[in-house]
Amino acid sequence: MLVYSLKRFAQLFTTVLGVVTLVFFTMRMIPGDPISAIAGDNLSGEALDRMRSQMGLDAPLFVQYLNYLGHLATFDFGNTVTTKLPIIGLILGALPVTVSIAVGTIVLTVLISIPLGTLAAFTAHKGHRMLDNAITGVAMVLDLMPSFWTSLVCLLIFSLTLGWFPASGTVSIDDPAHLLRRIALPVLVLSMAQVATLARITRTSVLEVLSEDYVRTARSMGWSELRVLFRHALKNAALPIVTVIGLSFGNLLNGTVIVEFIFTLPGIGNLLVGGMNSRDYQMVQTLIVFYALIFVAINFATDLIYRVFDPRVQF
Amino acid sequence: MAHFSIPLPARRTVSIDLSRFNGIVRLLANRRVQLALMILVPILLLTTFRSVLPIAGPLETNLRAMTKAPSLEHLFGTDRMGRDIFSRTLAGIQISMFVGFAVALLSLIVGLVVGTLAGFFGGAIDRVMMTITDIFLAFPSLLLAIGLVSVMGTGMLPVVLAISLSDVPRFIRLQRSMALSLRSRAYIDAARTVKASHLWLMTRHIVPNTIASLLVAASIAAANAILVEAGLSFLGLGIMPPAPSLGNLIRDGQSYLEQAWWISTLPGAVILLIAISLHFLSDGIRQVLDPRSRK
Amino acid sequence: MNLHVPIREPLLDVRDLHTHFVTDTGTVKAVNGVSLQIEAGERVAIVGESGSGKSAMAMSLLRLLAHPGKVVAGEINLEGHDLNRMSERQLNDIRGAKIGTIFQDPMSSLDPVMRIADQMVPPIMRHLRLRRDAARAEAISWLDRVGIPDPSRRIDAYPFEMSGGMRQRVMIAMALSCRPRLVIADEPTTALDVTIQAQIVELLKELTAETGAAMIFITHDLGLVARFAHKVGVMYAGRLAEFGPVGDIFARPQHPYTQSLLDTIPPVDQQERRRLAQIPGFPPDMKRPVTGCAFKDRCPGAHRHCFEEAPELAARGNDHVAACWLPEGLGADRTVERPLVEPLAPTGIPGDDRVAVEINNLHKHFTGRSALPWRKPPTVRAVNGISMRIRRGETLGIVGESGCGKSTVARLLLGLDPATSGDIFIDGIAQMVFQDPASSFNPKMTLSSIIQEPLIVTGWGTRLEREDRVRELLGQVGLDESYMHRYPSQLSGGQRQRVAIARALALKPSVVVADEPTSALDVSVRAQIINLLMDLKQQLRVSFVFISHDLLTVSYVADMIAVMYLGEVVEYGSADEVFHTPAHPYTQALIAAMPIPDPAAEAARVQTPLSGELPSPLSLPPGCSFASRCPKATDYCRSHKMVLKPYSATRETACHYAN
Repeated sequence: MLVYSLKRFAQLFTTVLGVVTLVFFTMRMIPGDPISAIAGDNLSGEALDRMRSQMGLDAPLFVQYLNYLGHLATFDFGNTVTTKLPIIGLILGALPVTVSIAVGTIVLTVLISIPLGTLAAFTAHKGHRMLDNAITGVAMVLDLMPSFWTSLVCLLIFSLTLGWFPASGTVSIDDPAHLLRRIALPVLVLSMAQVATLARITRTSVLEVLSEDYVRTARSMGWSELRVLFRHALKNAALPIVTVIGLSFGNLLNGTVIVEFIFTLPGIGNLLVGGMNSRDYQMVQTLIVFYALIFVAINFATDLIYRVFDPRVQF
Repeated sequence: MAHFSIPLPARRTVSIDLSRFNGIVRLLANRRVQLALMILVPILLLTTFRSVLPIAGPLETNLRAMTKAPSLEHLFGTDRMGRDIFSRTLAGIQISMFVGFAVALLSLIVGLVVGTLAGFFGGAIDRVMMTITDIFLAFPSLLLAIGLVSVMGTGMLPVVLAISLSDVPRFIRLQRSMALSLRSRAYIDAARTVKASHLWLMTRHIVPNTIASLLVAASIAAANAILVEAGLSFLGLGIMPPAPSLGNLIRDGQSYLEQAWWISTLPGAVILLIAISLHFLSDGIRQVLDPRSRK
Repeated sequence: MNLHVPIREPLLDVRDLHTHFVTDTGTVKAVNGVSLQIEAGERVAIVGESGSGKSAMAMSLLRLLAHPGKVVAGEINLEGHDLNRMSERQLNDIRGAKIGTIFQDPMSSLDPVMRIADQMVPPIMRHLRLRRDAARAEAISWLDRVGIPDPSRRIDAYPFEMSGGMRQRVMIAMALSCRPRLVIADEPTTALDVTIQAQIVELLKELTAETGAAMIFITHDLGLVARFAHKVGVMYAGRLAEFGPVGDIFARPQHPYTQSLLDTIPPVDQQERRRLAQIPGFPPDMKRPVTGCAFKDRCPGAHRHCFEEAPELAARGNDHVAACWLPEGLGADRTVERPLVEPLAPTGIPGDDRVAVEINNLHKHFTGRSALPWRKPPTVRAVNGISMRIRRGETLGIVGESGCGKSTVARLLLGLDPATSGDIFIDGIAQMVFQDPASSFNPKMTLSSIIQEPLIVTGWGTRLEREDRVRELLGQVGLDESYMHRYPSQLSGGQRQRVAIARALALKPSVVVADEPTSALDVSVRAQIINLLMDLKQQLRVSFVFISHDLLTVSYVADMIAVMYLGEVVEYGSADEVFHTPAHPYTQALIAAMPIPDPAAEAARVQTPLSGELPSPLSLPPGCSFASRCPKATDYCRSHKMVLKPYSATRETACHYAN
């Protein structure tokens, strides 16, 4: 276990370093440099040079890279160009909103999709295709609805027409009841897409397990179909399901950017789009690295969970 | 399930090989493929011949018909500047289809070549390739695209490249895993006993057996690319207005959701329709390839 | 219908059972009217080839069929209660409690993520109404009875921590743990090696005798039937063709199918080798209705009546029934002289004593990656110093259990893997026939391009010349040229193996390596392929290396036999000598474990199966590699390495005590 974790961690470190390096050098390929982008035409050449040396942009690229790594290691991401606020502060301030959306989505998704997928698999296994076809069909349509479009439609129906949920307004983590009302629609929208993926994989995994030889063995010892389903099938199907939850986290992060933008929620996705629009590349760069780190860490965690739950894996 | 059977001559003396076309015939006989084509073909025809249709051009403004609800004259209604949404949607589909096709083709080619080499040779090439794909797969796809667009600027080419960048590693992975498992098949061993070249093994034995699965993946990638392009444009990071990409259309309507619901919702429904039919297509191909998958 | 009148009520009385699988392309009538009775304590074997409905029949008894399988008609009376009329809930009180089931593949029949205890204990609690600790004690005692060492600790192990043989023992313990009156075993030893198979069969015999449980034993192996069963049912196309006491069935088979099946097996006594009998044609398509007897198209004795009406089971002796219009089936004259197979002279082909293959001190070691960089990586010595010569036209048989290195030798001979050390000399080229006919061919290529491939790659001839050569080769393996444009998926297993042989012969190789070429085939097809190989050997004077775990087939096909154990050859010599007077204790054990399709001979044999299992190839013992399982091993064996030494003029053996 220890050796495996260390190895996996070394692999993780390589990936993270690769991510950081890739982002750094790609951002440096931007035509012109960050300073000209901020300053526009308002500053003289000298003033620009002064700013450059202040920000360490006159050093050779490689030195800049090492500086960047050094700063990252101490969680110093620099300041925003426009407001001169420390980026890390903005991110930490915005994070709770994004995390509540993500956690809410995962909880809702798991609660809906695992029973649904299991039911579809169980009926399909017994040869009843109707319910199974209905569930898989709905799941596919949900999966393919572009989340920004679903958001607008939900906004139109639930906020503008029915007035159930506020469409805009301030959000604070200190007021959970209001926060919940504000994130309810985004969570619903994101869950629609996630439910589809997870219900489908649950269905496939459970269906596969149900046709395994050991399920027949259990049936031959007198277990009822339901008991076999709960004791054997779900336990075995849990492993691929956990993996898929980890992998679909990437799509979830994609989705948070969109819903935060549409529902004007002050999460890190909104920071990213704002950074893009105000050409704050420092901010964009930091956020993209940040997103990648979250995604990689989640996958690392699901991988370890997988290995803890699967007795066959030898460390 | 439609049953199509082509009567084959009992004894074949002419060497015209009917079974070679079996794949296409069976594909066309598949209900999902038929359904997909029933949606895709009319849409493609409409977009191709939109210039001869009796509708306004996508960029034509008409100040006398601003924010008109859908009617026979304007099927999808008009926007704030009186532009015909139906016409703009057709133009948008053209852009979407191009992006989808370009991304799918690019991913397919790069994935096929690199994946085959990595899977077939293994060893150091494979390890390096896998590390690189790991790095790209560490980014959620939309965010990778956003990052790239921020570097290369907006426009068609950057959008296609940005979307492909997260699809290519997936195709490499897929092709590599298939090549890896085919590599130890007995028929490859049989060819190796007569000292067949690597090129022969890869082009004769590996690629023909993986290409179909890649096509399935490619049609899903195309659907996905259409969605991501729309998402990027929607965020203002894709194809720049006034070009009528589907994402731009939805973005345009966002502020007038209450007054003119049709501006955003109808183009969105079209995106959904296209994505669904592409998925049907891939499902159909998969069913034809592997009858067991219908389970 | 049923002509033998039971004196008392049988334990199990199946009447006119019908099982159908409804699929998109038609209804498969897998079981099509089977009736049979089983008395308490009786061991009944059901034999048949794949697709005969034997497994579907067994699974129907407890309604364990996977969708879309369904019992559509019939009675299944167990101690007077009809299982077919019971609800699922009632049936769950029978499953495991009254009828235990043992499945074929021990690797997949136990839940991989549950401990043995969690799979064994709850059914015992439920059916025997015991508390958890009592049930656990009961489970441990069963594990002990089936020979699991240290059962009180192993009960908390996961299945993956056990070998296949051990898992099958666990499976048996589980099936018997609630003291069922009947045990259904569906090919319980097919996935196991021959020495492990012998252990499991002995165990089943012992335990059913002890508990008085009756047993239904599904198998395709007639040898096992002779060793194991009291009664035999032969199934063909979803029906019983013949049913009767084992001795009677083997001595006086009445149905042409049973008769032909018995004749396809290579004889044990091989003073003179005759061609094996072949059953022509294929079993009928079970989706189509059959008029008349299902076997009529393959039966040499079929007459008009057979085409019009299906025969019912009719008495042919005491307890012996057969479903055939002919009173004695094909009769005694079915053994009309089959042509003799010319043996290879001890000196090889007269006037040609060239050596086709010479192997000197061959080693192949596989080195894994160690968990930590500074640790020594684990090494498997798959082939550990073997030397052999194969003369032109000679067939060398290599036998051994899985993991003995026989397939590695094949890959080294073909140059598919580089040897670690030692050398191989081949006069000409080596070609291969693979075990698994399904993955042997690129599914996207026609047979013509498959057979041509070696020719194209080596630049042989023009397109027309190559196509002529393909026709010639197809003819040699008994396929006509209409097959040229077919795809592999359109062929049966036997036809695929013929194509594989044609491809191997395309370049006129000096040696063809056949790795288990018949083990995936049904008995009747197996005989066809073996006959074909024997013919080709005579006609083309090509050398064969025939690799198999099936000693009986090898002894029939081969001129020389090499017995391998853990990467080494332990005995090497002329086939007759090795087979009839084995010198090495391992060869002796293999032959003792080999089931012989003759109940009288089986009864006379001493059954002491080889104990233990193959040691881990990662840590071989320092002395004789067989010492850990050898009944004769002494301290000397455990400390001294054994090498092949001459035993007689035509044999070498690697045992200190053989000489």
